[in-house]
Amino acid sequence: MNVAIKSITEQRDFVVSSSSLKQVRSFSREVFEKVNIDQDLKDELVLAIAEAAQNIVKHAYQGEDTEDKMEIKISLEKGHLEIGFFDKGRPVEEKNVRHRKIDDIKPGGLGTFFIQQIMDAVVFKEGEKPWINHLVLTKNLNS
Amino acid sequence: MSYKVTEEGNISTVHLDGEIDMDVTEKAKEIIMPLIEAKKEVHLNLKEVQYMDSSGISVLIESHQKATELGTKVILKEISKSVLKVIMMAKLEQILNLD
Repeated sequence: MNVAIKSITEQRDFVVSSSSLKQVRSFSREVFEKVNIDQDLKDELVLAIAEAAQNIVKHAYQGEDTEDKMEIKISLEKGHLEIGFFDKGRPVEEKNVRHRKIDDIKPGGLGTFFIQQIMDAVVFKEGEKPWINHLVLTKNLNS
Repeated sequence: MSYKVTEEGNISTVHLDGEIDMDVTEKAKEIIMPLIEAKKEVHLNLKEVQYMDSSGISVLIESHQKATELGTKVILKEISKSVLKVIMMAKLEQILNLD
Protein backbone atom coordinates (compact mmCIF):
# COMPACT_ATOMS: atom_id res chain seq x y z
CA MET A 1 0.00 0.00 0.00
CA ASN A 2 1.30 3.45 -0.91
CA VAL A 3 1.23 5.65 2.17
CA ALA A 4 1.56 9.10 0.61
CA ILE A 5 2.72 11.01 3.69
CA LYS A 6 5.99 9.54 4.88
CA SER A 7 6.13 11.22 8.25
CA ILE A 8 3.51 12.63 10.59
CA THR A 9 3.32 13.17 14.34
CA GLU A 10 0.28 14.69 16.02
CA GLN A 11 -0.78 14.61 19.62
CA ARG A 12 -3.71 15.94 21.60
CA ASP A 13 -4.97 15.91 25.18
CA PHE A 14 -8.51 14.92 26.12
CA VAL A 15 -10.35 14.99 29.42
CA VAL A 16 -10.75 11.40 30.65
CA SER A 17 -14.49 11.07 30.09
CA SER A 18 -16.86 9.15 27.86
CA SER A 19 -17.98 12.52 26.51
CA SER A 20 -14.48 12.98 25.03
CA LEU A 21 -14.71 9.91 22.81
CA LYS A 22 -16.36 11.86 20.00
CA GLN A 23 -13.45 14.33 20.05
CA VAL A 24 -10.98 11.43 20.07
CA ARG A 25 -12.59 10.09 16.91
CA SER A 26 -12.61 13.54 15.27
CA PHE A 27 -8.91 14.00 16.04
CA SER A 28 -8.07 10.54 14.66
CA ARG A 29 -10.11 11.12 11.49
CA GLU A 30 -8.37 14.48 10.94
CA VAL A 31 -4.97 12.82 11.18
CA PHE A 32 -5.83 9.89 8.89
CA GLU A 33 -7.32 12.26 6.30
CA LYS A 34 -3.70 13.25 5.60
CA VAL A 35 -2.68 9.67 4.88
CA ASN A 36 -3.32 7.85 1.63
CA ILE A 37 -4.86 4.65 2.95
CA ASP A 38 -8.26 3.25 2.12
CA GLN A 39 -11.34 4.39 3.99
CA ASP A 40 -12.04 0.96 5.53
CA LEU A 41 -8.60 0.92 7.13
CA LYS A 42 -9.05 4.51 8.36
CA ASP A 43 -12.36 3.50 9.96
CA GLU A 44 -10.72 0.49 11.64
CA LEU A 45 -7.87 2.61 13.01
CA VAL A 46 -10.33 5.19 14.37
CA LEU A 47 -12.24 2.35 16.07
CA ALA A 48 -9.05 0.93 17.62
CA ILE A 49 -8.05 4.36 18.96
CA ALA A 50 -11.53 5.06 20.34
CA GLU A 51 -11.64 1.62 22.00
CA ALA A 52 -8.26 2.20 23.65
CA ALA A 53 -9.39 5.62 24.89
CA GLN A 54 -12.61 4.04 26.15
CA ASN A 55 -10.55 1.47 28.08
CA ILE A 56 -8.74 4.31 29.86
CA VAL A 57 -12.10 5.80 30.91
CA LYS A 58 -13.58 2.44 31.92
CA HIS A 59 -10.61 0.64 33.44
CA ALA A 60 -7.77 3.01 34.37
CA TYR A 61 -10.30 5.44 35.88
CA GLN A 62 -13.16 2.96 36.39
CA GLY A 63 -15.64 5.51 35.07
CA GLU A 64 -14.92 8.04 37.84
CA ASP A 65 -15.37 11.75 37.19
CA THR A 66 -11.97 13.36 36.87
CA GLU A 67 -10.35 16.48 35.48
CA ASP A 68 -7.30 14.42 34.47
CA LYS A 69 -6.35 14.37 30.85
CA MET A 70 -5.13 11.57 28.66
CA GLU A 71 -2.78 12.17 25.77
CA ILE A 72 -2.98 10.46 22.41
CA LYS A 73 -0.02 10.65 20.04
CA ILE A 74 -0.25 9.36 16.47
CA SER A 75 3.03 8.93 14.62
CA LEU A 76 3.64 7.63 11.14
CA GLU A 77 7.14 7.09 9.83
CA LYS A 78 7.77 5.30 6.53
CA GLY A 79 4.47 3.46 6.76
CA HIS A 80 4.99 2.35 10.36
CA LEU A 81 2.08 3.63 12.45
CA GLU A 82 2.51 4.01 16.20
CA ILE A 83 -0.24 5.28 18.47
CA GLY A 84 0.62 6.12 22.06
CA PHE A 85 -1.87 6.55 24.89
CA PHE A 86 -0.76 8.17 28.15
CA ASP A 87 -2.86 8.39 31.29
CA LYS A 88 -2.56 8.99 35.04
CA GLY A 89 -5.14 6.44 36.16
CA ARG A 90 -4.66 3.22 38.07
CA PRO A 91 -1.68 1.18 36.89
CA VAL A 92 -2.83 -1.31 34.29
CA GLU A 93 -1.25 -4.75 34.45
CA GLU A 94 -0.96 -6.39 31.08
CA LYS A 95 -1.87 -9.81 32.48
CA ASN A 96 -5.26 -8.40 33.55
CA VAL A 97 -6.06 -7.03 30.11
CA ARG A 98 -7.71 -9.70 28.05
CA HIS A 99 -10.74 -9.89 25.89
CA ARG A 100 -13.50 -12.37 26.61
CA LYS A 101 -13.68 -15.58 24.62
CA ILE A 102 -15.31 -14.53 21.39
CA ASP A 103 -17.74 -17.46 21.38
CA ASP A 104 -18.88 -16.59 24.92
CA ILE A 105 -21.69 -14.27 23.83
CA LYS A 106 -22.26 -11.61 26.45
CA PRO A 107 -22.15 -7.82 26.60
CA GLY A 108 -18.70 -6.34 27.25
CA GLY A 109 -15.11 -7.39 26.72
CA LEU A 110 -15.05 -6.73 22.98
CA GLY A 111 -13.03 -3.49 22.88
CA THR A 112 -9.71 -5.19 23.51
CA PHE A 113 -10.61 -7.89 20.98
CA PHE A 114 -11.26 -5.22 18.33
CA ILE A 115 -7.95 -3.50 19.08
CA GLN A 116 -6.07 -6.79 18.74
CA GLN A 117 -7.90 -7.63 15.51
CA ILE A 118 -7.04 -4.28 13.94
CA MET A 119 -3.50 -3.60 15.14
CA ASP A 120 -0.30 -5.62 14.65
CA ALA A 121 0.90 -5.17 18.23
CA VAL A 122 -0.41 -3.92 21.57
CA VAL A 123 2.22 -3.16 24.20
CA PHE A 124 1.70 -1.87 27.75
CA LYS A 125 4.53 0.15 29.25
CA GLU A 126 5.02 1.89 32.53
CA GLY A 127 4.47 5.59 31.84
CA GLU A 128 7.29 8.05 32.38
CA LYS A 129 6.42 10.82 34.83
CA PRO A 130 3.86 12.35 35.02
CA TRP A 131 2.13 9.45 33.31
CA ILE A 132 1.20 6.16 34.98
CA ASN A 133 0.26 4.09 31.94
CA HIS A 134 1.62 4.14 28.42
CA LEU A 135 -0.08 1.94 25.86
CA VAL A 136 1.47 1.57 22.41
CA LEU A 137 -0.45 0.28 19.39
CA THR A 138 1.46 -0.35 16.19
CA LYS A 139 0.63 -1.33 12.64
CA ASN A 140 2.64 -1.58 9.47
CA LEU A 141 0.64 0.26 6.80
CA ASN A 142 2.97 -0.86 4.00
CA SER A 143 1.85 -4.48 4.11
CA MET B 1 -27.37 10.02 18.78
CA SER B 2 -30.99 10.76 18.03
CA TYR B 3 -33.87 8.37 17.59
CA LYS B 4 -37.47 7.94 16.49
CA VAL B 5 -39.83 5.17 17.53
CA THR B 6 -42.75 4.05 15.39
CA GLU B 7 -45.36 1.46 16.34
CA GLU B 8 -47.29 -0.91 14.14
CA GLY B 9 -49.27 -3.61 15.92
CA ASN B 10 -46.88 -5.48 18.18
CA ILE B 11 -43.82 -4.22 16.32
CA SER B 12 -41.88 -1.23 17.60
CA THR B 13 -39.31 0.16 15.19
CA VAL B 14 -36.51 2.23 16.66
CA HIS B 15 -34.70 4.36 14.08
CA LEU B 16 -31.31 5.25 15.50
CA ASP B 17 -29.27 8.06 14.00
CA GLY B 18 -25.68 9.16 14.59
CA GLU B 19 -22.78 7.58 16.44
CA ILE B 20 -23.29 4.98 19.15
CA ASP B 21 -20.50 4.85 21.69
CA MET B 22 -20.06 4.46 25.44
CA ASP B 23 -21.41 7.97 25.99
CA VAL B 24 -24.87 7.14 24.64
CA THR B 25 -25.34 3.45 25.49
CA GLU B 26 -27.40 4.16 28.60
CA LYS B 27 -29.72 6.35 26.54
CA ALA B 28 -29.98 3.63 23.88
CA LYS B 29 -30.87 1.04 26.53
CA GLU B 30 -33.47 3.37 28.06
CA ILE B 31 -35.17 3.52 24.67
CA ILE B 32 -34.94 -0.15 23.69
CA MET B 33 -35.30 -2.13 26.92
CA PRO B 34 -38.80 -0.95 27.95
CA LEU B 35 -40.09 -2.00 24.51
CA ILE B 36 -38.61 -5.47 24.97
CA GLU B 37 -39.96 -5.67 28.51
CA ALA B 38 -43.39 -4.82 27.07
CA LYS B 39 -42.82 -7.94 24.90
CA LYS B 40 -42.86 -5.97 21.68
CA GLU B 41 -41.00 -7.30 18.67
CA VAL B 42 -38.33 -4.64 18.31
CA HIS B 43 -36.88 -3.65 14.95
CA LEU B 44 -33.71 -1.58 15.23
CA ASN B 45 -33.21 0.41 12.04
CA LEU B 46 -29.49 1.12 11.79
CA LYS B 47 -29.43 2.79 8.37
CA GLU B 48 -28.36 6.17 9.77
CA VAL B 49 -25.85 4.88 12.33
CA GLN B 50 -22.46 5.94 10.98
CA TYR B 51 -20.37 4.55 13.82
CA MET B 52 -20.76 1.91 16.50
CA ASP B 53 -18.12 0.72 18.95
CA SER B 54 -17.95 -2.23 21.36
CA SER B 55 -20.32 -0.46 23.77
CA GLY B 56 -22.96 -0.23 21.04
CA ILE B 57 -22.42 -3.90 20.20
CA SER B 58 -22.98 -4.70 23.87
CA VAL B 59 -26.37 -2.97 23.67
CA LEU B 60 -27.27 -5.15 20.68
CA ILE B 61 -26.22 -8.33 22.55
CA GLU B 62 -28.02 -7.31 25.74
CA SER B 63 -31.19 -6.46 23.80
CA HIS B 64 -31.07 -9.74 21.88
CA GLN B 65 -30.57 -11.77 25.05
CA LYS B 66 -33.32 -9.95 26.96
CA ALA B 67 -35.75 -10.44 24.08
CA THR B 68 -34.93 -14.15 23.85
CA GLU B 69 -35.44 -14.49 27.61
CA LEU B 70 -38.89 -12.85 27.33
CA GLY B 71 -39.94 -14.81 24.26
CA THR B 72 -39.78 -11.96 21.78
CA LYS B 73 -37.10 -10.80 19.37
CA VAL B 74 -34.96 -7.92 18.23
CA ILE B 75 -34.35 -7.67 14.48
CA LEU B 76 -31.65 -5.43 13.03
CA LYS B 77 -32.87 -3.67 9.88
CA GLU B 78 -31.09 -1.75 7.12
CA ILE B 79 -27.74 -2.11 8.83
CA SER B 80 -25.23 0.48 7.64
CA LYS B 81 -21.98 -0.78 6.16
CA SER B 82 -19.89 0.49 9.05
CA VAL B 83 -22.11 -1.16 11.69
CA LEU B 84 -22.22 -4.44 9.75
CA LYS B 85 -18.45 -4.46 9.64
CA VAL B 86 -18.25 -4.17 13.45
CA ILE B 87 -20.93 -6.86 13.93
CA MET B 88 -18.89 -9.17 11.69
CA MET B 89 -15.66 -8.30 13.47
CA ALA B 90 -17.39 -9.40 16.69
CA LYS B 91 -18.50 -12.58 14.87
CA LEU B 92 -22.13 -11.91 15.77
CA GLU B 93 -23.72 -12.15 12.32
CA GLN B 94 -24.96 -15.67 13.08
CA ILE B 95 -26.11 -14.79 16.61
CA LEU B 96 -28.07 -11.57 16.19
CA ASN B 97 -31.15 -11.38 13.95
CA LEU B 98 -29.99 -9.50 10.86
CA ASP B 99 -32.46 -8.56 8.15
